[in-house]
This record gives sequence, structure tokens and C-alpha cells, in this order.
Amino acid sequence: MTDLLNELGAAHEQQQFGILDEYSKREIRRAILTAVAVPGYQVPFGSREMPVARGWGSGGLQLTLAVISPSDVIKVIDQGDDQGVNAVNLRRLIVQSTKVPETTTASDASIVQSRHRIPEDGLDEQDILILQVPVPEPLRGVERDMRELSRMHAEADYSKMWVSLYEDKVRNGVITQTTGYPCLVNDRYVIATTPIPRWDIPRLDQSPFLTLFGAGREKRIYAVPPYTAVTPLTFEDVPFEVEHTPGASCSQCGSNKTFLVEIPGPTSRWVCSDTDWCERNSGKA
Amino acid sequence: MKPVTAPDWVLKVENLGKVFGNLSTHGIANTGPEVGTSKDSVSGAIVAAWDVSFEVAAGEALGVVGESGSGKSTVMRCIAGDQVATSGAVKIRTTRNEQLDIFSLSAAERRQLRVNKIAVVYQDPAEGLEMNVTAGGNIASPLTAAGWRNFSEIRGRASELLNRTEVPLNRMDDAVKSFSGGMRQRVQLAKAIANRPPIVLFDEPTTGLDASVAAGVLDLIRGLLEEYGLAAVVVSHDFSVIEMLTTRCIVMNHGRVVESALTDQLLEDPHHPYSQKLVSAARA
Amino acid sequence: MTQQIIEQKNVVLEVRDLYKHFFLHTIDSRCVKALNGVSLSVAAGEHVALAGTSGAGKSSLLKSIYRTYKPTNGSVLLRLDPETNVDLVSLTDAELATLRGTKIGYVSQFLRAQPRRSPFDIVMQAGIQRGMDRQTAKDAAAHSLQRLNLDEVLWDVSASMLSGGEKQRVNLAAGTISPPQVLLLDEPVSALDPANRESALELIGTLTSQGVAVLAVFHDIEAMRRLASRIIVLRNGQVDFQGSPTEALSNLEGVAR
Repeated sequence: MTDLLNELGAAHEQQQFGILDEYSKREIRRAILTAVAVPGYQVPFGSREMPVARGWGSGGLQLTLAVISPSDVIKVIDQGDDQGVNAVNLRRLIVQSTKVPETTTASDASIVQSRHRIPEDGLDEQDILILQVPVPEPLRGVERDMRELSRMHAEADYSKMWVSLYEDKVRNGVITQTTGYPCLVNDRYVIATTPIPRWDIPRLDQSPFLTLFGAGREKRIYAVPPYTAVTPLTFEDVPFEVEHTPGASCSQCGSNKTFLVEIPGPTSRWVCSDTDWCERNSGKA
Repeated sequence: MKPVTAPDWVLKVENLGKVFGNLSTHGIANTGPEVGTSKDSVSGAIVAAWDVSFEVAAGEALGVVGESGSGKSTVMRCIAGDQVATSGAVKIRTTRNEQLDIFSLSAAERRQLRVNKIAVVYQDPAEGLEMNVTAGGNIASPLTAAGWRNFSEIRGRASELLNRTEVPLNRMDDAVKSFSGGMRQRVQLAKAIANRPPIVLFDEPTTGLDASVAAGVLDLIRGLLEEYGLAAVVVSHDFSVIEMLTTRCIVMNHGRVVESALTDQLLEDPHHPYSQKLVSAARA
Repeated sequence: MTQQIIEQKNVVLEVRDLYKHFFLHTIDSRCVKALNGVSLSVAAGEHVALAGTSGAGKSSLLKSIYRTYKPTNGSVLLRLDPETNVDLVSLTDAELATLRGTKIGYVSQFLRAQPRRSPFDIVMQAGIQRGMDRQTAKDAAAHSLQRLNLDEVLWDVSASMLSGGEKQRVNLAAGTISPPQVLLLDEPVSALDPANRESALELIGTLTSQGVAVLAVFHDIEAMRRLASRIIVLRNGQVDFQGSPTEALSNLEGVAR
């Protein structure tokens, strides 16, 4: 008994690696393991108080701090941009508390935390993509009752989702969801792919890297393991379309094959969302 | 060997019982038509239905007649799975000609039956439909649950069904809450037969509708029964509905079956005192 | 239960000691004795007419055979084929339902069929019930209605819009389409004018040549004399007399209803 107490005391005095204590990390890792074992299943976890407020990436941050080790290299982006305010703050927090090297080059990173976008390239096997998720429940728009939601996922009864896709197509001619498009993972669970845009969804399918989704406020973790099937929900005869503006190309690097965002101004100007990719390719254009 | 054989049943109800509260032999003995109540004065338990048995074959419609409180709706809900029965068994014959005791299934499996084996048409369309969803969307629900994934095919089938139930196609994309009562009921019918279930339960399908509207819906139900060869259970207090749709029926009073007869025989030659009272009141 | 057998080879319907008593619980539990031990038989191809004053039990007998009334006692044997007969009284409801409309037909005076059905539909459905396929039933329905002179204009209207006579002819057409083994007729021509009555009687007359066993109630003496090979007179729910038309009718006094 005395040994156990000593052990506990010693663990507490140990220098913490990062902001999270070891017990919290252990719990989050267990949740991650469950999520990886059951792809697409939303695992509840005890979400800790973080130095960022809820709604600002606390879930993603907890995931990152649970998996990060001294041998990792961290990249943090927001809207594809390493210099977005949110990204800068989170990166500073992570680097200062873990002393882990940082980078803006995706291919050099082993962990990428992102609020909105998957880097255009650079993520391989052994890399982890961590996404900050506001609303993890894909059926939230069609059902309110928690027990019923739980049952629907348990029985793979997604007919309400299908009806809402039907209604969407009937009302609008196309299925209009932009971010958070519902996808079927490993032929079993439907997930909300918030926060990534439709553009990035095909990259989840059979990806070589692990993707973890963390929702701090909603207290859920889910995962898409490497080389897992991810198919966007759509009707057989309604092709899944990604965002596309005809004629648009990046004003910096000239690309029209990457996800572009519009810069507001007197004239319409487009730039690559993934700033790192854009810089590396500007020279080549 | 019997010289005359009736067609095999598709739905068989055996000694179905539903008690709210504690089940006791005393409770059973102290309730029923002879006693004149469904409520056990000692325990307060309500014997909503007890010892109800009947069979229905494909292409046959069986009526369940009774006043409110007779237990007829309870019986229907126990078969449908909306309520859990206290005792008895309900069997359906599968496509492989096996007998399946549906009470032995898990709740999830029973829900699965409601996709394409047993359909229900409720008295209140709001119970069977999503009011904020379009007519087509309501029909898309059972279709997608059954695995339909092609948008045009789903829409095609929905139009076909709405056409069959005489709902104007230009209303297919309107939310059902904007429909009149009679039209809502038609959408409910279309949704119920979408996956061609062998068994359909109707609970007071036209009660509450205006007479002329009700007539149209009844004609439609009659037509569907003939065309699809469904095994149907029609629960109603209205003899004109029973007379129009069914060939056989059972009369319920205070939870028990008091008489079971061919429909025309019940209407012209009722035997049980309660049946006689009901029939003479209807004829008046 | 001992197996009851129809003794005579050509008899297809045999009623044995049939009783029908009504116990009316709603009216001080009185008992109305409609039939008090009726026995008779009808052979294939035979037209037997039932006669008697009003209340004698004629309609009750037909209804008891068809089981619109559930007999209180006795048996009703039907020969299904040379080797087999059944007692209709002992069949379950579902079993009896399979015989109705196929082996046994019943034509009542009133069009008790379903509202808002067209005459054509009614007659065609009767044919389908007899086992005809849709096209054959359609053709037979047309033929049947034409035979009874029902104006084609009326074939697709709602049956409730027809006159009594028109309804009666629809009823008769439905009952005689692909005639069943036994046909029970209850006042089938009472509402018809002379011309239509004539074609109807002619149609009924052909049934026996097709081997149908016909048991009919007519109040019309002429019709009875013309069609029946035997007449059974009922009185107080029992058979009072039976014989050839001449014998029976001369025996009757005040038979007109």
C-alpha cells in the first residue's frame, strides 16, 4: 500500500510533458484506441478544461497533447493557413509546453492539427491528422433525442439521414451540405466530417495516415484509421461533387487544382487555401 | 384429409394478452365482458386485452370490431410492436414458409419487420408520417430503409405510389402538413405499401374524416387489398367500414373476444348479447 | 362426429333437419323460431322452388344454407365431387368463405354489395372469384350484362345510382357468371318489368342445363311453374308439402304474398 502511494506521489511530481497530466492522457489514448478499433464510432470521453475556450479547438488540442511525443514535429493550420490567429495560438501553446519542433511544411510534420482543411499533400503513413470538430453528430439536424440517436447508430438505421438528403435534393436540386458532409466509414458508421470542406473528403478514403476527430465541448472522439473506406453519402445517380468555381485559379501560384478561397475586394481574387503548398509551388509556376 | 382447406395463414395471433399493472389470476378473473370492466378493482391493473386469437391469410381482411376501450387498438399495437404484449404469441409466415414468432425477436429485429413485413396505417396520419417532410420524402423513408439508393428510382416509385393512392403529383414535393386530412391518409397508405409488405394493419383508417373523403379512402383501401393480395387486419368501431372491407371479423368487449364470425353473418345474425347490441345500434 | 354421406348419387345439396332459432338478447331474450327441422335435397341440374307465406322461412332457409345465418342445429351437406361431401354447418368461417362465390352462389333481392362499385366491376370480380383470369372475367361480365339487357351506358356508373330493377339484374349477372355448383336465388326477378323479367327467367332456365343445382324463392307462381321441376312448400319453418309444380300449386291456397 505504501509503495502504491509513493508511486502515485512520484508520478505527480514528475515533470509533466505538455499541459495534460498523464492520467488524462491515458484516458484520452484509451478513447482513441477504441475509436480506431471501431472506425467512425463516436467515443465519449471526459473532456478536460483547457487553456483555450470551448469552441476554439479544445478537443483537437487534447488529442494532440495525448499523442505527441518528443520525436514528433507539429504543424497547426486554420483554414489551411499556418498563420491564422487560432493556429498561431494553439501552436505556441503546444510548442512552449512540449518543446516539440514545429514546421509549416506538411511533409516534415508527423502530427498536423487543423481547424478546416487537410493539407494538399505531405501526409503519409505514420502521420496523424487531428481535426477540431464543433458538432460530431451527423444526425443532429434530423433527430434531437439522444437515446434515439444512439439507437440509430447502433442499428445502422440511417433512413432519416437519407430522407433529409432526398429532401435537400428535391428542394435545392443538389445536395447542399458544404462542410460536415455525412460519410460512411468502413461501411458501418456515418460520421460528420466537420470541419473539412467537400474538397478534402475524397482524400480520407483509403488514406495512408490516421485521422482523429476531437470535439471538446461535445466530449466525443472518433477516428478514420489508415486505409479505411470512407464514402460520402449520396444517391447512386447523384454524383458527389466537390467545390469548383470555373475559371478560378490562384493569383499567387496559378494553380487551379487546389482548394481555392476568395479574397474579398473590388475585383474577385482567388488564392490557395493551403498557404504552405502555395508558397512551395509559386516558384514553379 | 379435410375436403375443404382454407388458405394458410400469413399472420397468426395466439392468446395475446396485454395487462397494464400486475398480472394476476385474480385480475384476469375479475375483468371482462361478464364483469363489465377491464380494470381489476383489487390491484388496479387494467387487462386491456386477454386471450385474443385469430388468423389471417393472404388476400384476406379480418375485422376487429369494438367500442373504445374494447382493446382492439391495443391488440393492433402489440402486433405492430408499438406496445409490448404481456402474454401470448404472434407468428408470421416468412417467404421461406417458416413460422416466425415475432415476440422472440429483439427490439431491433422487430423494428426491421416494420420496414417491409408489417405496415401500419394509423388513425392519425401524424403518427405514421413526418409532417415536415414532403409526400415523396415520406415514401422515400421506407424505401431507403429497405436499401434503395437511386434517387430517380426512389422518386419514380414514390410517384407511382402517390398516383395509385390518387394524390396529385404536383403535390409530391409539398410538406405533408400542408395536406388535408384525407390526402394525408392517402400518403400514409402509399407509404405503408411502398415495400409491398405482406401484412398491413389498419387502425380506424377513416375515423375523423368527412363522409365523402372517408368513402374515397375506403374505396382505395379496398382496391389495394384486392390488387396486392395483402393480409389485412382492420380495426374499427364503424360497421360500414368492416362490412366494406372484411370477410371475417371478431368482436371485442372489455379486452376479450366475444364473438368471431363471417362478417355478413355477424351483421345479420349476431349471437353474443354484446354483438347484438352493437349491431342493432349500428343499424338504427 | 360421424361422417355424413349424401346417399343419392346425383344430389349435390342435402339439408338435414335444419333448425334456426334466434335468441334476441336485446329484446327481452325472446326466441324467434325461423326454421324448425327442415329437410330437403337438390340434385345437379334440378331447379327446386320454395313456396310459402311470408314468414314461412324461405329466405331464412337460403341464408342458413349460405351461413349468413348460423344454423342452430342440423346439417347442410354439399357434394364437392363424386367422392366427397362436407357439412357446411361444421366448417370454420375461413373454410366456408372459400366455398362461397366458388361452389355456392347466393343472389339476394337487394344489391348488398359494396357502394361505389360499378356494375361491370361487380360482375367481373365475381368471375375472378370463381377462378377466371382477368380477361376471361371481363368478357364473361360483358356477356352476362348484355344478356340481361343492362344498358352499356350504366356499366361504369356507381351501382348505387341504379334503379331497383337494374340492381337486381346486376346481382343476377354476378351470381350466374360461370355458375357455381349450387345457386341460391332469393326473389331474383321481383323488381323487373315484364321484358327484363323475361330475359332473366330465360337465363335462370339455362342454369339447370349446365348442371347447376338451383334452389329458388319466387313469389311469382308463373315463374315457379315455368322453371321448377319440384316445389317445396314451407310453413312455420318446416316442410309442409313437396311435389311437382302441378301438384304443389293446386295444393297451395293463398300462396300469393
